[in-house]
Amino acid sequence: MARALSVIALAATAIAIGAASPAPITTRQGVFTEDQAAAGAQLYATRCAMCHGKMREGTYETPSLQDRFIANWSKAPVADLYDYLARAMPQFAPGSLKPAETAQIVAYLLKANGLPAGAKPLPEGGPTLARIMLEPKAPSLSAKAVPRTK
Amino acid sequence: MAGRSQFGLSALERRALLKGSLGAAAFAGMQSYASAAKIAEVTAPPPMPLPGRKVALVPLRVTPDQLIDVKCCIRPFRAAGPNLGTQMIGDTLVVHNYGHGGSGWSLSWGSADVALGKALSVLPKEIAVVGCGIVGLTTAVLAQQYGLKVTIYARDMIQRTRSFRASGSFTPSSRVALTEPAGPEFGDLWERMARFSWKAFRTCIGLPGNPVEFQDNYGLSDTPPQRRVREPNPAITDSYATRGIPFQETEFAHLDDRIKDIVPQSSLLPPEENPFNAAYASRTSHMYFNFASYGHMLLTEFFGRGGQFVMRDFHGPADYAKLKEKVVINCTGYAARDLWQDKTIIPVRGQTGWLVPQPDSHYAVRYKNVMLMSKADGVCVMNNNSIPEDLGDMFGVGNSMELPNPADIQAGLKLIAPVFAPPVGGA
Ligand SMILES: Cc1cc2nc3c(=O)[nH]c(=O)nc-3n(C[C@H](O)[C@H](O)[C@H](O)COP(=O)(O)OP(=O)(O)OC[C@H]3O[C@@H](n4cnc5c(N)ncnc54)[C@H](O)[C@@H]3O)c2cc1C
Repeated sequence: MARALSVIALAATAIAIGAASPAPITTRQGVFTEDQAAAGAQLYATRCAMCHGKMREGTYETPSLQDRFIANWSKAPVADLYDYLARAMPQFAPGSLKPAETAQIVAYLLKANGLPAGAKPLPEGGPTLARIMLEPKAPSLSAKAVPRTK
Repeated sequence: MAGRSQFGLSALERRALLKGSLGAAAFAGMQSYASAAKIAEVTAPPPMPLPGRKVALVPLRVTPDQLIDVKCCIRPFRAAGPNLGTQMIGDTLVVHNYGHGGSGWSLSWGSADVALGKALSVLPKEIAVVGCGIVGLTTAVLAQQYGLKVTIYARDMIQRTRSFRASGSFTPSSRVALTEPAGPEFGDLWERMARFSWKAFRTCIGLPGNPVEFQDNYGLSDTPPQRRVREPNPAITDSYATRGIPFQETEFAHLDDRIKDIVPQSSLLPPEENPFNAAYASRTSHMYFNFASYGHMLLTEFFGRGGQFVMRDFHGPADYAKLKEKVVINCTGYAARDLWQDKTIIPVRGQTGWLVPQPDSHYAVRYKNVMLMSKADGVCVMNNNSIPEDLGDMFGVGNSMELPNPADIQAGLKLIAPVFAPPVGGA
C-alpha cells in the first residue's frame, strides 16, 4: 500500500514537472564529473570523515555512507540528499557547505558507491537535480560461486 | 565468611592456590571451574571502613584502563518544552512527540500518554510511530496497550539511537524547557507526564534483568554542602527572548519540587556514616534505567503484541503522508530539527564514559562535578566541568558536535579518584 502510494506520488511528480520535460534520469547514467568527485573526496576528508570514517564506514552510532545509506536514499531524487547535506551537514556546523561543495560531496558519495562519472557536472540544486533519481549501482555478482566442498 | 568456598577450598588453601604453592596438579584440577583470580574475587571479604567510619562500600575502580566506551549524544532541547502539537500532512494526522531535552527517558510514558490522547481523538484502529528511540518505542507499546495496531518506522532500533547514549536516570526536569517560553501552563503538563512516568517505571521494578532499579546516590564535597541558589546574572542582558537561545541557567525551568512528595530527597550523613574519603557526604536514592534490559523489555512487549518494525528513512514531512496509516506519531528526537525544520530545537551536547561493569559497587557518587553511576552495563561517567566557570544547565547548549572526547572523561576520573583512596597516612 505504501509502495503503491509512493509510485502514484512519483508519477504525479513526473506529471507536475510537465509533459515537455525529459524522462527521469538515474544515477546510473553518469550524472557527475570525475573532477567533482575528486574535489568531493578532499572535502569529505576534512568535513565528514571525522564522524563517518575515512572509508565512509561509519560507526555503531554514526551512519555509514555506503550500502544501507544508498538503500535509504534511493528511489528518491538526488535533490533530497543534496538538500539534506546543504541544510543539516556537517552536524556541528550545518549550512556551512557552499552549493558547489555540496554537489562535490554528493558526487564523491555516488562515485564511492560505484556509480559512474559522466561528462556533465551534477547541478547545484535546481529542477534538473530534482529529476535525477538515486538508483544504486547494478548488483555485481561474484565471478565464482562459493567453492563446493568435495 | 570463613570456612569453605563453593569449590570446597578453605581460605588457606585458596591463598596457597593463588600463590601457586599447591602445585600444578591441583591447579589443573581447578581449571574446569574458573580462573583462580575469579575465585578470589567471588570470596573477597567486604572492605574495611576508613578510619573513624562505621560503614564501607566496595570502592569503584576508576583507573584509565577501566574505560571501555565513550558515547556522545545531543539532547533535543526546546525552549517551549516537548512538541506535542498536531498537524495535517495531506490526509494524514501527525501528532508530534519530540524535543524532550535531557528528560526523554524520564518523561517517556507520560509524554506517550499525552500524544496518544490526541491520536485517539480521531478513533484510529491502527497507527504508525516514526522513530524507535525511548520516546517512539514507549509510545508504540502504550498505543498497543490502548488497543491499537502499531507499526514503527525508523532508521534505527533503540539500541543505536541517541537514547542509548544517555546516562539514564529519572531526571524529568533536566533541561526540558525554559520558564518564559514554556509559559505558565507547562508546569501542570510536565507534572502530569512526570507522575505518569514514575508510576509506569515502578511497574518495571523487579522484572528479570532489572530494567528499572533504585540505588543510593552520594554527593561528596570538601566543604559543607550548600543548596544551590540560582540568581540571574544582571551582567548578562541577552536571553532566549533576544537571541533564540538561553544565556544563563536561570532561564531554565526547574520543576522537580512539584514531585518531591514521591522522589527521595537527599540528607547529610554524619561523618561516621560517610564511607568515602571526602569531608562531607549526603545521600539520596535515585531511580535509573538499565538500557539493555529495558530496551529488550519494550521490544519483547512490542513484538509480542504483534507490532511491526519497518526500517525506513524519511526525507521530509511529505513522506509521512505516504504511509498507509493515516495517524502518525512523530518521535524523531533531535532529528526533527532538520526533518521537520523545527529550528526551535536547540542542541545540547553531552557525553558519557563507561567503565567495566562493577556490580559489587552498586551506587552512584558525585564529586567536583563528576558523576559515576554503577549500572548493569557499566559504570557511567559524566564530567560536567567546564572552563573557566561551572556552566550548570548551560553546559553543552548550542553545541551539535557529536564526536566523543575521551580526554574529558579521563580528566573526570582523575578528579574523582581520590574519594576511593584511603586518606594519606590512614590505617
Ligand atoms: C549525555 C546525556 C545524558 C542523558 N541522560 C538522561 C537521563 O538521565 N534521563 C533522561 O530522562 N534523559 C536523559 N537524556 C536525554 C535523552 O537521552 C533524550 O531526551 C532522549 O533520548 C530522546 O529520545 P527520542 O526517542 O526522542 O530520540 P532518539 O533517541 O534520537 O530517537 C529518534 C528515533 O527517530 C529515528 N529517526 C530520526 N530521524 C529519522 C528519519 N529521518 N527517518 C527515519 N527515522 C528517523 C531514529 O532512528 C530513532 O529511532 C540524556 C541525554 C544525553 C545526551
